[in-house]
Amino acid sequence: MMPVFELLRDDDKARTGNQILSRPGRILLVVGILGLAAAGPIAGSIQPFWVNLLVRMLAFALLALSLDFVFGYAGLLSFGHAAMYGAGGYTAALLVGQVTPNALVVLPASVLVGVVVAALIGWLSVRARGIYFAMLTLAFAQLLYVVVFTDLPATVAGVETVTGGDNGLYGIGSYELAGIGFGDPLAYYFLTLALVALSLAGLIRLANSPFGRVVQGIRENEERIEFIGYDVQRYKVIAFAISGGFAGLAGGLYVPFQSVANPGLLHWTVSGELVVMVLLGGMGTLWGPMVGAGLVVFLEDRLGGVASWEVILGTLFVLVVIFAPRGIAGALISLRDDPSGAVDNVKQALKNYVREVRD
Amino acid sequence: MSGNTIGGAETDADASSGAILRTEGLTKRFGPLTALDDVSLEIPDGGITAIIGPNGAGKTTLFNTFTGKHAPTEGRIEFDGEQISDVEPHEVVRRGIVRSFQITNFFSALTALENVRLAAQARYTGFGPSDFLTHHASHDEPIADAERVLERVGLDDVATETASSLAYGQRRHLEVAIALASEPRLLLMDEPTAGMSPEETNETVELIEDIASDTTVVIIEHDMDIVMDISDQIAVLNEGKLLTQGVPSEVQSDERVQEAYLRGGGHE
Repeated sequence: MMPVFELLRDDDKARTGNQILSRPGRILLVVGILGLAAAGPIAGSIQPFWVNLLVRMLAFALLALSLDFVFGYAGLLSFGHAAMYGAGGYTAALLVGQVTPNALVVLPASVLVGVVVAALIGWLSVRARGIYFAMLTLAFAQLLYVVVFTDLPATVAGVETVTGGDNGLYGIGSYELAGIGFGDPLAYYFLTLALVALSLAGLIRLANSPFGRVVQGIRENEERIEFIGYDVQRYKVIAFAISGGFAGLAGGLYVPFQSVANPGLLHWTVSGELVVMVLLGGMGTLWGPMVGAGLVVFLEDRLGGVASWEVILGTLFVLVVIFAPRGIAGALISLRDDPSGAVDNVKQALKNYVREVRD
Repeated sequence: MSGNTIGGAETDADASSGAILRTEGLTKRFGPLTALDDVSLEIPDGGITAIIGPNGAGKTTLFNTFTGKHAPTEGRIEFDGEQISDVEPHEVVRRGIVRSFQITNFFSALTALENVRLAAQARYTGFGPSDFLTHHASHDEPIADAERVLERVGLDDVATETASSLAYGQRRHLEVAIALASEPRLLLMDEPTAGMSPEETNETVELIEDIASDTTVVIIEHDMDIVMDISDQIAVLNEGKLLTQGVPSEVQSDERVQEAYLRGGGHE
């Protein structure tokens, strides 16, 4: 697998003392990807349903990865990533349904639509900072939701239906590529895994690129980065557009697999849950949010029927915020750095929390 | 040690020909407050110019209009013969005006080297494919530039340490190094010796004189001994107005200057 080698390529380039992922970290990631590749057929042989769940976990992991690139890495809290996700999903639904099931055509189109939507939302929003930026992205995403929900494109074009309104589009076929059909869940799983791994490798590369360093500088100190000669707003819009491309790809992978595209893809609760996934996984690490997303999708599927899912997710979120403010990734990193201090850290975190609440 | 003397004749009559930066009727209002009031001054090319004045005289606002942070309400700013009063801060830097900050204002989670490299990188990077697809450390020029600048300010031995772990004096030098990495033609320094021990101050003064050997330096400084010692030119601001501009000996003997300082309660 190409991305596997890509991940290993950046060794000994950490001359400046700053880069995303050390060499052992990269090796672990590659091992993880290979492990997932092996897990697919095993899961499928036990119960085909598990493959289905794995694909959904991967799609959300990709979506969380895309959000982490702007939120954790560029410091832009997007509360509207469902817009790009949904736009990519609907693009795939329309193209597969009416034009071609060729993955080489449809998936790039989903990416492109994600980029365009994100560039537009980003360009309109980056002038605001912090919570105002978040609110603007939320507003634009909701706007797109309403456009899809009311099937505005159909009204404008004077045709009967484009987005299918509140029913959405269903009965969408699966992808084809060079004569191979991806109707089989396991084949679809490998397609998804390959693209998610490639996306991760690409974003790690991007994070360590000259562009990525500037973007991280914006998160660290926006004022100073401007005064050393970088056009902050331009960098933000481009970072947002790139992120949107990956969100679009996530949508393009999710929709044909589920064979349904409905307005719920663009709903703000998707954006909100996504932010929770990123925080749970550990923002700014790229791999952490992917773990967080996989975990949330998994738990939602397994526990969704047991009790009220929101209560479970909420409890989990509260526990992570108190005991591991830097998320699952942060907890794992500190466990690696100081295994014996883990218990003390938990005690300390609890003590701090109680003191904060009392004050 | 008053550096190379830019004589009175040049400042009086034909300073215009040797000015790197010039303002005409520069005015900046914030609501009812007039921070800069019809300031017309010239920064000669080369050497050190000090901007002095009591607190609230408009010194920092002046810097902020030079760097594009604040657009002037009225008037013009010319750098190297070109109007820059409506140019964005990042573009001003590319044209050669760079400032360092009074409070240390860097990337505290990054190493000293990466702080400076990031600033140097701005001169090489754009939005081409290689800016997105290559590893930042595979570009040698910004790293070489950063190492050279760190050596110049005496921080080469702590290059790989995190900026936040540096001692106070080192932080201030890093602050200057970041500005130098942009290869300015005009370096604006806001109170470069504030809060420093006498020893650190001496080091910084030497550094400023070293920088001034190939870069025009403008400093805001409250320590009059330093100002008189290193400046080739002094501009005095008071209540937003330019009181006078001249060589140190002229300014020192100017009664209006002494009066302004007495009225304004002196310097910090």
